[in-house]
Amino acid sequence: MTLFDIIFTGSKQALEAAKGVVQDAISKKGEEGKVAFPETAYSLPTFYAATGKKLGTLKDLKDALSIVESLIVEEQSLEKALNAGLATALSAEIIEACKYATQEKPYSEPCAGFISDAIIRSLGVPLVTGDIPGVAVVIGEAPSAEEAGKVIKGYQNKGLLVFLVGKIIDQAIEAKVKMGLELRVIPLGYDVTSVIHVVTVAIRAALIFGNVQPGNLGDLLKYTKERVPAFVNALGPLSEIVVSAGAGAIALGFPVITDQEVQEVPHYLIVQKDYEKMVATSLEARNIKIKITEIPIPVGFAAAFEGERVRKED
Amino acid sequence: MKETNFCKSCDNATVKMYEYAKEMGLETIWDRAQAMQPQCGFGEMGLCCTNCSMGPCRIVKITEDGPKKGICGATEDTIVSRNFARAVAAGAAAHSDHGRDIAQALYHAALEEGDYEVRDKDKLLKIAKEWNVKVENRSLKEIAREVALMALEEFGKPFGKLRFLGRAPEKRRVIWDELGISPRAIDREVVQVMHSTHMGCDADYRNIINQAAKAALSDGWGGSMIGTELSDVIFGTPVPKKTQANLGVLKENYVNIIVHGHEPTLSEAIVIASKDPELIELAQKQGAEGINLAGMCCTGNEITMRHGVPMAGNFFQQELAIATGAVDAMVVDVQCIMPSLSEIVKCYHTKLITTSLKAKVPGAIHMEFDEEKAVEIAKKIVREAVLNYKNRKQKIYIPEEKAQGYVGYSYEAILKILDKVTNSFAHPAGTVKPLVDAMKSGVLRGAAAIVGCNNHKVPHDSGHVTLAKELIKRDILVVTTGCGAHACIKAGLMSMDAVNYCGKGLATCCELLEIPPVLHMGSCVDISRILTLLSDVAKYMGMDISDLPVAAAAPEWMSEKAQSIGLYAVSSGIYVVLGVAPAITGSETVVNYLTSDIEKILGGRFEVESDPVKAAEKIVYHIEMKRKMLGI
Repeated sequence: MTLFDIIFTGSKQALEAAKGVVQDAISKKGEEGKVAFPETAYSLPTFYAATGKKLGTLKDLKDALSIVESLIVEEQSLEKALNAGLATALSAEIIEACKYATQEKPYSEPCAGFISDAIIRSLGVPLVTGDIPGVAVVIGEAPSAEEAGKVIKGYQNKGLLVFLVGKIIDQAIEAKVKMGLELRVIPLGYDVTSVIHVVTVAIRAALIFGNVQPGNLGDLLKYTKERVPAFVNALGPLSEIVVSAGAGAIALGFPVITDQEVQEVPHYLIVQKDYEKMVATSLEARNIKIKITEIPIPVGFAAAFEGERVRKED
Repeated sequence: MKETNFCKSCDNATVKMYEYAKEMGLETIWDRAQAMQPQCGFGEMGLCCTNCSMGPCRIVKITEDGPKKGICGATEDTIVSRNFARAVAAGAAAHSDHGRDIAQALYHAALEEGDYEVRDKDKLLKIAKEWNVKVENRSLKEIAREVALMALEEFGKPFGKLRFLGRAPEKRRVIWDELGISPRAIDREVVQVMHSTHMGCDADYRNIINQAAKAALSDGWGGSMIGTELSDVIFGTPVPKKTQANLGVLKENYVNIIVHGHEPTLSEAIVIASKDPELIELAQKQGAEGINLAGMCCTGNEITMRHGVPMAGNFFQQELAIATGAVDAMVVDVQCIMPSLSEIVKCYHTKLITTSLKAKVPGAIHMEFDEEKAVEIAKKIVREAVLNYKNRKQKIYIPEEKAQGYVGYSYEAILKILDKVTNSFAHPAGTVKPLVDAMKSGVLRGAAAIVGCNNHKVPHDSGHVTLAKELIKRDILVVTTGCGAHACIKAGLMSMDAVNYCGKGLATCCELLEIPPVLHMGSCVDISRILTLLSDVAKYMGMDISDLPVAAAAPEWMSEKAQSIGLYAVSSGIYVVLGVAPAITGSETVVNYLTSDIEKILGGRFEVESDPVKAAEKIVYHIEMKRKMLGI
């Protein structure tokens, strides 16, 4: 299968899943069931930014599925592949929105799920000043907790904001990575679709700080590519859905670095099997240059530890 | 053919100048082409043979009772293939003699005296290594001398095969060996075609075409490759640079010198001479602001690739350049120089200066060029132009059209550019990997070379430009040389803004690499750069050139050199689309062989398609088919 075919397959799978989830939600809550993420003025941010439309009910979600479907055009070209990637992002957002529509509290510790506008606003200044030099999205599963810890702490030590999706969360806990917003390591969720909650961080950054007008997809993608220094580390076996979500990241301008054997795409999809080099490879791929003086001390030293609370037993 | 505007060009400057020339009562190539109509059908189909004095013979196909054989008994298949083979031999001879002169120039560069020097040491050492020349404890000049002598031997060595064949992928070399078409020595293959096509010799069309293929390969992997590689050694390997193109590069208040022809040995010396402070001062004394050098055709490509010298125009614009009244000298050497130039200069002050014993034109001033005194002679030539400035008649009309673009994409430059998208922690540097990855992932669908000439049978430049636009729209990277390169730069396809014509995949590549979607790879001998690039891509992928999702096109070809290029491309495994039918249509057998059966033997084939939009579709189909076969 060609790389583009894998993406199309993943996008179709995500769409099918979204259709099923919306149907289930409607059968539980009815078509007029309310749909909203907590503490945001941007409705479903990905949809809102891409189409300019706010979705408020499950019926709106159902109707939105046709937009997603229209983005999946199986022609062998980068343009169509990237559109399919965006379709996967939209499917993920629909699936996640249904979770919030049908469950009282879809996410619980340690997972954050949806990130509120207030948090994004608080991250804005350090992102602009370069105090947060980059945003790492680590998704999947490392071969062991040790490698997971090495990679995550590698970013944390350099002050990057790290989002975790999938089994890597458990591995991070096992590796004793200190987590939390103030420590700049945020576990999002175990389902692959929860990756959309970091996508909407980038998208809301464009709407809030970049003054991108909702519905102007071209400007949105330009802003995320040029101004949001994010990248993805996709670890462990890659399903078609993960690959197509990766295409969505690439559409936003975020390179994907993976430890798996895939067909590389220059600059955007890079294979790095050496975990020692994962951090360096990723920073170079996103052109993140960190002005640091490494102080040889036996503990991690970075702005990421500024909000750390030292408990009695520590 | 009674059209008022016979000059159908997609280039505004050309149309304007053609109309202006008509107003002035000047005769141009379009007028002569019109006067020639209808052209002889026997010649057009390749059915006329003049190879002995029993002839001329012709095969008549439209009536049942017309002769079906020549007087000697040669059939249409024999006559057509012999004519085709001779055209290929002539093309190979032209390129190869060019290559020989460059090898001679390197020999001079290796001597203590003389104006040439080794400017690209790395490239010399690379070739020396490739040819097993001892480099330890030897001076650069000694190495250069041995490489030059070895290169000169390539033209007539008694034993062995051409050295540069070693660049081709293993599978390709096996195909050539098995078919017996691995060229041995360049001149020998040309001579053999001339021998075999003599009356009463080879009558087997397949055998004749095989021999032609061998001569063509001796051009692409021999004469042309030697020409390119050693030109780089002497004059420097091109690197990307900005330049301007079209007749608008001529400047009214400057001494305008156009170098036209092919060999960089002359033009490089003229570049040096045109910057000579004394000559510039002399120009100012004549009332000019300075000296403005511009290039035409392939010599124009050579000096723009290496120095960014503005490109005045392509083959069909050579007369029009003089009609501006602003050209103080047109300096020519060899190949594609219309003899009509000496007629058109009579109406102007322009001096037509021939410089090669191989190419004199009655009515021109001949100033013999000598590689041993290159700059001295070049200065004399430039002085002649400078002193001619004051003889201008007050009728100057320079069209304002002039386009910007980037040139200088040698194989080495492309490799270096590709390093921009390698990750220093994950990838090796200095390989074709990024290009291969872009193709395998599908971001780039493939690559196509657009080469060749201008021909009145195709609207000027539009074959090149339309095809290029159609291909880049579909994420196919275009590389170009020769007059195709002139056409593309004039149409703005070598500017960074040309990404607006591209599909998303190619546009992304161009933005990441900071390159235009159409890459100028040089002159017609520089098509050898494309062979080197394709070979390295094929070798990196562990396959043959014929497996790659690539194609070539010559939408407006006219010369015998183009026929040699076409055949060496096909013989190297490349699908070649011709915008003008070669004179082979008189034999269905030969047509069928060259456009179909030959693919089973050599992996490449010819396709004739005069509509550039349809040609693009055929190329896309071919490329997608190759991708399917590769499973990518």
